[in-house]
Amino acid sequence: MQFFADVAVVGLRILLAVYAVFIVYQCFGSMRRQKRQEAPLVMLYNKTIREKIPVLCWENSIGRSKGSDIVISDPTVSRNHCVLLRRKDGWFVSDSDSKSGTKVNGRPVASRHRLSLDDEIQIGSTTLCLRRADEFRGEVPHHWFFSKGSSKPSVSAPLLLILVNLFHLFMAVEVCIAYHQFCLQAFEVWLAMVLFSWLLYTFSRGVFLRKNFELETLALFLTGTGALLLVEQNIMDSWIQIIAAMVGAVGYMLMLLFIANPDRIVKWRMAVMIIALGFLAINLIFGVVEFGAANRIYIGGVSLQPSEIVKIAYIFVGASALDHLQTKRNLLEFIIFSALCVGALALMGDFGTALIFFVTFLVISIIRSGDYKTVILAVAGAAFAVMLILQFKPYIADRFAIWGHALEDPYDAGYQQSGVLTYISSGGLFGTGVGNGILRYYGASETDLVFGIVSEEMGLIIALAIALVIFGLVIYSRAISTRSRSTFYSISACCAAAMMLTQTALNIFGSTDILPLTGVTLPFVSAGGSSMISCWGLLAFIKAADERTYSKAILNGKE
Amino acid sequence: MKRIMSRSIISLVLALSFLAGLGLLCYRYIVDHDLWASQTYNQYLSSGKGLSEAGTIYDRNKTALAYSEGGQRLYHDDYNVRLGTLHAVGDSSYNIATALQTRYRAQLVGHSSIFGYGLPESLRSKGNMRLTLDADVCGKVYEAFGGYKGACFVYNYKTGDVLCMVSAPSYDPQNEPETIPEGAYLNNATSSTYSPGSIYKIVTAIALLESNPDAENLTFTCEGKKEFDGDDVTCLEEHGTLSLRDAFSYSCNIAFAEGATLAGADKMQKTSEKLGVTKSFNISGIKTAQGHFDVKNANGNELAWSGVGQYTDMVNPAQMAILCGAIANGGEAKLPTYIDNVYSGSTGRLMSADTAQRMQEFMRYTVSDHYGDTMFGGLTVGAKTGTAEVGEGKEPNAWMVGYSTDEDYPLAFAVVVEEGGYGFYSAGPIARLAMIESARSLGYEG
Repeated sequence: MQFFADVAVVGLRILLAVYAVFIVYQCFGSMRRQKRQEAPLVMLYNKTIREKIPVLCWENSIGRSKGSDIVISDPTVSRNHCVLLRRKDGWFVSDSDSKSGTKVNGRPVASRHRLSLDDEIQIGSTTLCLRRADEFRGEVPHHWFFSKGSSKPSVSAPLLLILVNLFHLFMAVEVCIAYHQFCLQAFEVWLAMVLFSWLLYTFSRGVFLRKNFELETLALFLTGTGALLLVEQNIMDSWIQIIAAMVGAVGYMLMLLFIANPDRIVKWRMAVMIIALGFLAINLIFGVVEFGAANRIYIGGVSLQPSEIVKIAYIFVGASALDHLQTKRNLLEFIIFSALCVGALALMGDFGTALIFFVTFLVISIIRSGDYKTVILAVAGAAFAVMLILQFKPYIADRFAIWGHALEDPYDAGYQQSGVLTYISSGGLFGTGVGNGILRYYGASETDLVFGIVSEEMGLIIALAIALVIFGLVIYSRAISTRSRSTFYSISACCAAAMMLTQTALNIFGSTDILPLTGVTLPFVSAGGSSMISCWGLLAFIKAADERTYSKAILNGKE
Repeated sequence: MKRIMSRSIISLVLALSFLAGLGLLCYRYIVDHDLWASQTYNQYLSSGKGLSEAGTIYDRNKTALAYSEGGQRLYHDDYNVRLGTLHAVGDSSYNIATALQTRYRAQLVGHSSIFGYGLPESLRSKGNMRLTLDADVCGKVYEAFGGYKGACFVYNYKTGDVLCMVSAPSYDPQNEPETIPEGAYLNNATSSTYSPGSIYKIVTAIALLESNPDAENLTFTCEGKKEFDGDDVTCLEEHGTLSLRDAFSYSCNIAFAEGATLAGADKMQKTSEKLGVTKSFNISGIKTAQGHFDVKNANGNELAWSGVGQYTDMVNPAQMAILCGAIANGGEAKLPTYIDNVYSGSTGRLMSADTAQRMQEFMRYTVSDHYGDTMFGGLTVGAKTGTAEVGEGKEPNAWMVGYSTDEDYPLAFAVVVEEGGYGFYSAGPIARLAMIESARSLGYEG
């Protein structure tokens, strides 16, 4: 009898691992199969050389430079001449400080000028005419990420969500097995997750008329997994996770509304920057030291990490629409903002988050400007700053001295990392069962070492599947942003995903002694309300990059 | 848009680095998961979940040295066997870092690379291990130490099998005493170094033979003491005029002090390094303690003393047994292993076959003409004793190292008895017992 019970328990663990991989695979599979706008949006007819040019993006640079979306081989055209962009109320052209200027129907235009069909845009000695897209007959390039042909996902969004709910139910069952009793709390948490996920789905589908739900499903998958891991450890933390995720999901929808108009962003940039710096300043003044970093403040008994929310502001400030990028190439303002953010975080002793910001800064500046000189300068500057800090505060280096040989000092400096390695190995590929772990009793394990907990209790396969979700988000962000409604979305999606990836890398590789341990959270899984809210906020940028997110009437009026 | 997309490849670069990191993690998991899992603090191994569920450790005759029964870890019935095999087997609280129960506890408990410790006991296959040691030999040898500290190491230089590995002091793993004797956690055979005294004359002789083709025809004059570089080197006796072979056999300090001087510091240093004195050998995963020989900055007198195994010379017992094995085996030998079916490599060539042949003559002559063959029953043994002064008013450490060249009993040995006094009288009987019993374990009927 005992034998069969044991076989069943081990069987459930193996099933869970296969199941997790299946869910992740289906979510990304469904993303790949989504129907994308394949035909061009409009067409430009080059009257001078009688050429039909398909316009594929919502924002297109026009110029002589090879890097332009629409290349005009005319020596009288500037390298970056103008931008042709689409907004909800039609097509516009905007001059990019070109030498000879841009004219529409013979009249010079400076800022955005609305176009009608058959309007003639004169740049240099070339005349372009705006035509309907259906006049174009030709091949449109295809992105490798998306599968051709079939557009129907093999698993529908509600079914995918049910699969995730079931996965969490199995986790709750495992908790009961671990404690040899019925754990009501586990099922309460599970039920809350189910309600939360369907509420979110109803809103997304019913109110915002969005068909696709894969991104949210993945976030819910990770959120619920994190919350159920915490059940028997600290039930309060489980509830905080779910409440924070709900707050985060509300924030996610508000964010999507707020950034619905990429032009509104310009007006808000400065305000957001000041608010973000204000947050960090408050943190610096009222910060409470915990786990070696003063990165939290307490407001009425609730602990907050302002730096988590600043992450969203940072992406917001970093991204920009194409016509602004073309005319305002200077990175100085953004560099100063970044330096202030990173500096404030370093002062708090939160080197992990400082590093996340720095990597994100590099990604944003490369994507925005392509200016490698500035980037190299920034890296050199940062290296210099690090050397200065180490010169005057050499004890900081000691915090990272154990890196690479944690197992040599498993009782002191390498305590956490060697614990993670030992218990990852103890869990094997399928884990020792949710609730059975030892690592969960380590200090701060529910945030910094959560990858180890997942690996120990649910197995390395599930832990890797979770890591691959974040990896997949980066690939997806880049693929989806080829057709975004604005470069603002493209840039912010790529950078938000890169930010989450950096954070995931620091968490996973820090706790497994591949990188120095800096104590950052694993997106959506680690315990921590601020971090959870911030992750949902960042997810909004990726969602916004999907052309279909804003396609329905509710937001933009009739298309 | 196009520009943005081409620049955003940077995010793919990050993603691929991340994937590479995960790859590295998986690689380390595959390579190191046993190491990670068998850490002392691992609570899957400690009380309740630990050795009480572990597999059995057998000796070469399938005698159980340690096994689990009724939720308890039990050890061999015989007290002396338990103490004699303690440093190979280990105790239940993992105090001996180099012991099997500490290093291989993951396998013993049934850690699997697929399930970790995730399998319930009913589904777990416990790992059993078999050693090459002979429990009875170890027990008898331990008893022979009679309370002295030291180590005995006997191994088959043709197969690598270690038959006897005893370290004293020891304690009873079945009833761990409240106060553990000082040094009992250390396996002296593999992890300690001692001043070698006269056994180092083996190294000096090899250096001399290799640097001087006419070395065997040299003669030395011993008057009890001789000045080297302003200071005396002393000998226990006045040996008069004697050949290199006799000087080796009578263990004349003056001759070997001169020998080291003749070979020169450079040659002495190189020979010591080549013979493995300063090297660490891998014995079933244990790295032996490195010996010490450094005459780079020594003056003439110090060089002379280094040639008779004093000065700063230090050697490890297992390493000395390996050196003797190489001499017996024509210049190279198998590396020892005490776990059955574990591949052990070779030492590589430590000396030329010719040098090995001449050393065999010296060492064999020492036994046949000096100690007498009756000492080792009927075994054909070559050996060298040593009496190493350790100062501080302590008795000297007693050494005996050597080998047998019998076809069926190719054994090399090293015995050291701390503060044992004169090598022959103190280490000799243990060496004799260890060799005869080990040979019997291989089928010898003498």
